[in-house]
Order: sequence, then structure tokens, then C-alpha cells
Amino acid sequence: MAAVTERSKIGNILWPVVAWIVALIFFFPIFWLVFTSFKTDADAVKPEHLFFFTPTLENYTNMTENYDYWRFAINSVITSSFATLFALAVGVPCAYAMAFNPSRHTKDILMWMLSTKMLPAAAVLYPMTFITKNFLGIFDTHFLVILVLCLINLPIAIWMLFTYFKEIPKEIIEASKMDGVTTWGEIKDILIPLAWGGVASTALLTFIFCWNEAYWTVRLTTIDAATLSKLIEGNRAPEGLFFGRLSAVSTAAVMPIVILGWFCQKQLVQGLTFGAVK
Amino acid sequence: MSDRSIPRLLQTPAVILLLVWMIVPLSMTLYFSFIRYVLNSLRKPEWTTPSISNWRGFGNYEYVLNAKDFWFAIQNSVFIVSSILILTVLLGLCIAVLVNRSFPGRGIVRVLLISPFFVMPAVNAVLWINMILDPVLGLQGIAVNGLNDLIDGLRDFPVLGSFFSLWPEFEPISFRATQTSAYAVIMMVTWQWTPFAVLIFMTSLQSEDESQKEAATLDGAGPWSQFINLTVPHLARPIAIVVMIQSIFHLSLYAEIEIVSRGNGNKNLPYLIGEFSSNNIGAASATGIFAVILANIIAIFLLRMVGKSLMD
Repeated sequence: MAAVTERSKIGNILWPVVAWIVALIFFFPIFWLVFTSFKTDADAVKPEHLFFFTPTLENYTNMTENYDYWRFAINSVITSSFATLFALAVGVPCAYAMAFNPSRHTKDILMWMLSTKMLPAAAVLYPMTFITKNFLGIFDTHFLVILVLCLINLPIAIWMLFTYFKEIPKEIIEASKMDGVTTWGEIKDILIPLAWGGVASTALLTFIFCWNEAYWTVRLTTIDAATLSKLIEGNRAPEGLFFGRLSAVSTAAVMPIVILGWFCQKQLVQGLTFGAVK
Repeated sequence: MSDRSIPRLLQTPAVILLLVWMIVPLSMTLYFSFIRYVLNSLRKPEWTTPSISNWRGFGNYEYVLNAKDFWFAIQNSVFIVSSILILTVLLGLCIAVLVNRSFPGRGIVRVLLISPFFVMPAVNAVLWINMILDPVLGLQGIAVNGLNDLIDGLRDFPVLGSFFSLWPEFEPISFRATQTSAYAVIMMVTWQWTPFAVLIFMTSLQSEDESQKEAATLDGAGPWSQFINLTVPHLARPIAIVVMIQSIFHLSLYAEIEIVSRGNGNKNLPYLIGEFSSNNIGAASATGIFAVILANIIAIFLLRMVGKSLMD
């Protein structure tokens, strides 16, 4: 017995320390990105200035003055928000119907939706560019970016919502039907309040995926609807020599979403299970 | 309206949107894959517009199957995706078990651990390949140089010096070569997606039945046998979900490959399609169809794994 307590005592100190070390290793690249963004381009590649240097905001002022950071950032906010909103507007009713009135085909439909997510984007890039440029004339518009972001995230959003809605007892919905509540009323007044945590974390995850999307947003835009991923794409070209500048642009593109993630971490942890937890 | 039509009506917008999103580009890709279609051709200007008169039958498919890049790209795609899956699941399990106990600062540890998941893939790639892994300017180069200097210094010591003088000079690894850049991609994606696995496993561990564990302890089961016999079966479903979601995302991995290995031969299928489509749309489309087939094979396999338990 004594040996056991002795061992668990060591464990009580050892494992938290290991956990802290692992967490710091995982966080280090992000820290390093932010850290380097306060160095000048020259300092950033000098080993003698690895940890000690005179911090400067030069990279950030340069970024806002010469690269029009805010336009890209505003585009990112607009497209990600609306895409999330539309994905929920289409996804909530669909997931509601699937969870409370499943038919023989519900599972197949759900699986098919997920399988559309596996289509290699590169395979349909050319037709997409062709159609949007030549037939629809919506290339490089906010509308197109919002539509595409909404569509590529819709399957995941529906799946997440479905797994939450399934947890709600059917009796609650059926009782409200007896009382003559309309379908819209059921969704608005009963379903969404009950599954609020799930809806919020679906919205959050969709928003994060939209913000970080870098295939379509880069290839279906030029200037007007270009998002932050396009800004990164444009700035990574001169490799190596401009670490300071690169870090500042990257930090400015990444930090809004990382901070949002920090604040909503609890919500996200609770919600991000995809039905994995019973 | 009847009882069944309302639910059907509610599903319609989502189904129609996804159907159009899938079918329109896919049928165009299918069409292009059977015709000769290039963006620039001085010799055959008629090939630059898509037309049924340029019918090539299975010619594009034959061309792609005979390109040695194609088989390499498939092999490389599978190698990269499966390495990432194995690494994230193993690391995720270890870290989730590690964090699944209370200790000072657990909240902060969790926040730090989750952060990589929020980073934009393009930034992830730029950050790792330039600032961390670069053999000269990155942290890797600086660390290797520092280590060499340190060993150089130790050589002057009286007794230890003869020991250190036997040590070879360390060489930084360039992650821009074909094989090493695949490792770089695996490294950066694993860094980004391990937090996702940790999140899901952690939530699942918290829902584990503690009374079962207590009973096992009373029966004299050690922590290891508890982990194998109780925790691992409990985690089967979350592992399936993690594998599935990640496969969905990593089969179409593009930004990382493009940034890390521009033109050095480290390709996956999506990247090969991108390369073809700079001129030869026919071949790109045929490759695209192959990619769709591959994705479907994997999808059937994965969906069966997860789908069974989805409806209970």
C-alpha cells in the first residue's frame, strides 16, 4: 500500500508537469509567429537576435498601409459570417427533419451529404471557374464566396446538428405538435433553445472552417471578394528573407480566430463530438 | 399537407443545394475528361475550346495512367493521410489521458493545446516550412548550428574533449526535398489536427463510467489493464469519428502541399490535378475522376465504419 501511495505521489507531480510541457510545445509555433512579428526583417533571421531584440510595430504599420489588411479582414468577416448563417438556415431545418422524422433513407442521405465533402476540390476547380466566369458572371463576388463556403461546410454542419437534435427526447416535440404548434414554432421556440449549445458550437466550427478555407477563396477571387487567405497567398511568395513581415501578416490573419476559439473553448469542447460520446 | 411531406420539404433545400453543387461540376469534369481540351496550343488551336468534335474516348485516362507521376501521387496521398491518422490518434489518446485529471492550470493547458486547430492551414505551412524547419534561417538551422558550436567548445576541455572530438558535425535537414517535404507536411498537419483528436477523446473520457473503474480497482485490476479493457473499447467510436472527419479533410489536402513542395515532386492527387490543369484540362479532369473514385472507395469503407452506430 505504501508503495502505491508513493508512486501516485510522484505521479501527481510528474504528470501535470508533462502535460504543461506538451501544451507549451504545441503552443510554441504560434508563440513564435507572434514573437517574430515584432522583429524587423533583418533581425528575424539573425541568430544573435533570436530572443533579444528591440521590438517594433513596423511590420504591422507596413501591413495596414501597403497591403490593405483591413479590406481582406472585412471580407473574411463578411463571407464567413454570412456563410455560417446560411449554413445554419439550411442545415437546422434539414437536421430537424432527419432527427425527428427519420425515414428509411435518412441515414443514406446523411452519408451521401458527407461524401460530397470528399470530392477533391481540385477536380472541379476548372468547371467551377468556367461556370462562374463565363455563364453566371459571379466570379470574385462576395456572393460566390459565401455560397461556396456555405456549401462546403453544410454537410459537417448538418451532421453536427443532427447528432445534437437526436439527443432531445422525441416526446417534447410530439407534445408540442399536439398543442398545435407550427413547424417553424417548434424549431424556433423548442428545438433551438433546447439544443442551443449544439447550435452555437456548430456555428462556431463552421465559422472557423470558413475563415480558414484557402482553396476556393484563393482561386475564385481576385480583388473584390478576396479574403485573408488570399492575403497570405500573396505574401508568402518571397520566401525566407521577410520573416518579420510574413509573421505580422500571418498573425493578423490567424489571431482573430484563435482568440475567438479561446473564448468559446468550453462551448466547442462540449459540442465537438460528432455523436462520438454517448 | 400530409404528415410526411413537411419533413421532406425541410430537407429539400439542403439536398438540392448539395446535389447541384455535386452534379454540375462533376458532369462537366466527366465531359472534359473524354475530350481533348488544352488551354494553350499553337499547333492545334481547335483543342482550346471544349467541343464534342474533339472526342478522345479514354485517351486522357490512358495518358494519366501511363504518367509515372500518377501512381506516385496516389501512393504519396495514401502515405501522407495514413501517417497523419496514425500519429494524431496515438498522440491524441496519450494527451487526452494526460489532461484528463485535475491539476493546477488545467484550463490554461487546454487552451494552449487547442490553439493549433484554429490556425489557417496556409499560415501553418508558411510558419513551419520557413520559420521552424528551414535549414539555414529557421529554428532548425539555428538549433543545429548552436549544437555544433557547443560541441566545438567542448572539444577544448581536457578529458571530455577527446570524447567530443569524435562527434561528427550535425547537418541540418532540408525539408524541401521530395521525401523530406512529405514528412514536413505530415508534421505540420499532425500538429494542427492532434488538438482535434484530443478534444474528442477528452470529452469521451469524461463520459466514461467511473463506477466500472472503481469496481475494477477493487477486483485488483491495474491501471494498464483498466485502460486496455475498459477505456479503449469505450474510445472505439470516438476513434472512428476522428479517423473519418480527418480523412474527409486530408484527402483534399492542398495548401500545405503547395506551399511546402512547389515543384519538388512531393505531390498528392489534388496537387497533381492542379498541375495538369495549368494547361491540359482533359488530363486534369481524368485525374479528377480517378480522385473521385478513390475518395468514394475510402468513403464507403469509412462511412460503413461510422454509419452503423450513427442511427442508434
